[in-house]
Amino acid sequence: MSLLAIDDLAIGAADLSLVDGVTLSVEPGEVVALVGESGSGKSLTALSIMGLLADGLQRQRGSIEFDGVDLTQLADEQLRSLRGAELAMIFQEPVSSLNPLAAVGDQVAESLIVHGRSSVADAGREAIDMLRRVGIPEPERRARQLPTELSGGMCQRVMIAAALISRPRLLIADEPTTALDVTIQAQILALMSALAEEANTAILLITHDMGVVAEMADKVCVMYGGRVVEQGPVEALFATPRHPYTNMLLKTIPRLDEEPGQELFAIPGNVPSPRDWPVGCRFRTRCDRADETCAERPALTGQLHQVACHHALRGDA
Amino acid sequence: MIMSRPLARVRSSLSWWPALLLATLVLLAVFAPWIAPVDPDRQNLLGRLKPPGFEARGQLFWLGSDELGRDVLSRMIYGARVSISVAFLSVMLSGIVGVSVGMLAGYLRGPVETVLMRLVDIFLSIPAILLAIITVAVLGPGFINVILVLALTRWPRYARVAYGQTLALADRPFVTLARAMGASTPRVLFTHLLPNIAGPLLVVATLEFGLMVLFEAGLSFLGLGVQPPTASWGSMLSTGRSYVASAWWIATFPGLALFLLVLSANLIGDRLTDQIGKGR
Ligand SMILES: Nc1ncnc2c1ncn2[C@@H]1O[C@H](COP(=O)(O)OP(=O)(O)O)[C@@H](O)[C@H]1O
Ligand SMILES: [Mg+2]
Repeated sequence: MSLLAIDDLAIGAADLSLVDGVTLSVEPGEVVALVGESGSGKSLTALSIMGLLADGLQRQRGSIEFDGVDLTQLADEQLRSLRGAELAMIFQEPVSSLNPLAAVGDQVAESLIVHGRSSVADAGREAIDMLRRVGIPEPERRARQLPTELSGGMCQRVMIAAALISRPRLLIADEPTTALDVTIQAQILALMSALAEEANTAILLITHDMGVVAEMADKVCVMYGGRVVEQGPVEALFATPRHPYTNMLLKTIPRLDEEPGQELFAIPGNVPSPRDWPVGCRFRTRCDRADETCAERPALTGQLHQVACHHALRGDA
Repeated sequence: MIMSRPLARVRSSLSWWPALLLATLVLLAVFAPWIAPVDPDRQNLLGRLKPPGFEARGQLFWLGSDELGRDVLSRMIYGARVSISVAFLSVMLSGIVGVSVGMLAGYLRGPVETVLMRLVDIFLSIPAILLAIITVAVLGPGFINVILVLALTRWPRYARVAYGQTLALADRPFVTLARAMGASTPRVLFTHLLPNIAGPLLVVATLEFGLMVLFEAGLSFLGLGVQPPTASWGSMLSTGRSYVASAWWIATFPGLALFLLVLSANLIGDRLTDQIGKGR
C-alpha cells in the first residue's frame, strides 16, 4: 500500500479551477519530486494534503489517502493530530516561516509539545539535540535566539529540524532552497534527505530545478496548468521524456559538457494565468507539436511511466 | 525634526517623568495605609474646610480639610487606590474580552467574523459614557459594578485593534507553519499570534487606562461610582465643586492628580506608539 495516494484531486476558488485531476503516489521512504514552472499548482496540491488550503480555496473532488486513510474525510481535529506528527511540511521562505518572537529551540520542540510526546523539559533537550544534528553550531546558545538572529540558511536548518523531530512518515518540502544562496542549496538538500532517510521519512519535494530532481528523486511528477502531464521513475523520465513540456524542462538543465558561454535554454512564453488556460491540453498554446486534436483533453496513460499527451514523444516505443 | 543637542537631552530626560509619575502614584495607592498621614474617613467637625497647612490637635493638614474635617491629602492617597485599581481591572477585563473576540473574528473569518464584528460596530456606535451611565443605573453603583460596566463599554476598542492585527498576520507563513506543526487554534492564537500583536494592544491599553481613570471619576462625580465614605477623586471633585469659592483645595488637588495621572498614561501611550513604529 502506498504511503500517500492522491487520486483525481481538484482544487478551485469559487468558479476558478486551479488544480484539476492530480493523481500521484508516494511509497514509504521514497523521494518523489513534484516539478513544474511556478503557477502550475504544486503548492496548492501540497497544502491540500496538509489540509491547510487558504481561505477561499476548496478541494472540489478527489481523495487523498495517507496510510490507507482518506484525509479529506477526517474531522479537523483528527487531521490536526497527524500534522506535525505523521505529516510534516517545510516552506520556501525560511525566515518569515518562523515565528519572529519565539526562541528557535521552542519552535523546533513545537510538534513534540503540541502532540504531548514529551514533557516541555525533554522537548527542549531533544530540540537542542536536533539542532546539533542539522549542523547548527553551539545549539544550546542558538536554541535561545530568535530567528532574526540567524541567517536564512540557518533558519532553513531550523525548519528542517522542527519538521523532522517527530520522525514523520512524510515530509512535504515546498521549494525548500529556492530562497537560499545557491552555494548552500545543495548542502541543505543533502542534509534534509540524509535525516529523512535515517527516519525512513518519505519526501514529496517540490522544486523547479531539474538538476535537484536528477540528484535526489526516485520518482518524478511533472505538473503543468494544474494537471499532471507526465510521471514516472526518475531514470525513465530523464532518459526518455515523453511529454513535450518535460522535454523542454529537461533542456533547461545546464550541462557540464556544453561549451561555456552558450545560452541556457528557456521555455518560450509564460504559464498563462488560470483564467486563460486553454480547453483541452493546457500546454498546447506553448507546444510546437500542438494541432487540433489537442483541443480535447489528453488522458494520463501508461503503467509506471505515465504521460498525458496526444503527440507523446516516442523515446522508448 | 532636527533638535539641538542640549534640547534633545532635556527632552530625553523629560521623557521619563510620565513613567516615574505613574509609578509614584501606583506606589502611593499600594502603600496608602502606611503613607497617608491619617485615616481618610476620620472626621473632625471642628477642623472643617481648613486651608492647606492648617494644624489642629497636633495634626498637620498638608492640603487642607474637607467639609467634614477629613484630611484632603489622605483622602487623595486612598482615592488613588480606587482610580488605579478600577482603571487597571477594567482595562484587564475589557482587554481579555476584546482581544479574544477580535482575534477569533480575524482568524476564523466567515460567519463568526460577521456576527462578532457587527456586535463591535453596534457597541462602538453607542456613546461610551452614556452606555456606562445607563448600565450602572440598572446594575447599581459600587466598586465591582463600575469595573464590569467599564469593561462592557470598552471591550470593542480592543476587539477592533486585535481583529485588524490578526487579519494582517493570519496568513503569514509562520502561522501556516505553526498549523502544519499541529498547533490547535487556541495555541496558534495565544502562543503564536498574540505576542506578535501585543505591541499595538499595549498602546491601546495604556491610552484606555487614562480614559478609564477619567470615566471612573466621572461616574463617581455623578454619584454612580464607589460609594461614600470611600474616598475617590471623582466624588471629591463633586463635593469640592460646592465649595470652590470658599475652599478651593477640596476640588483642586484631586483634579490636579487626575490630570497628571491621565496625562502620564497618554504620554506613555504615545511613547509606546513611537517605539513600535521604530521597531517595524
Ligand atoms: N488563494 C488563492 N486564490 C486564488 N488563486 C490562487 C490562490 N493561491 C494560488 N492561486 C493560483 O493557483 C495557481 C497555482 O498556484 P501554486 O499552487 O502556488 O503554484 P506553484 O506552487 O506550482 O507555483 C496559480 O495560478 C495561483 O495564482
Ligand atoms: Mg509554489
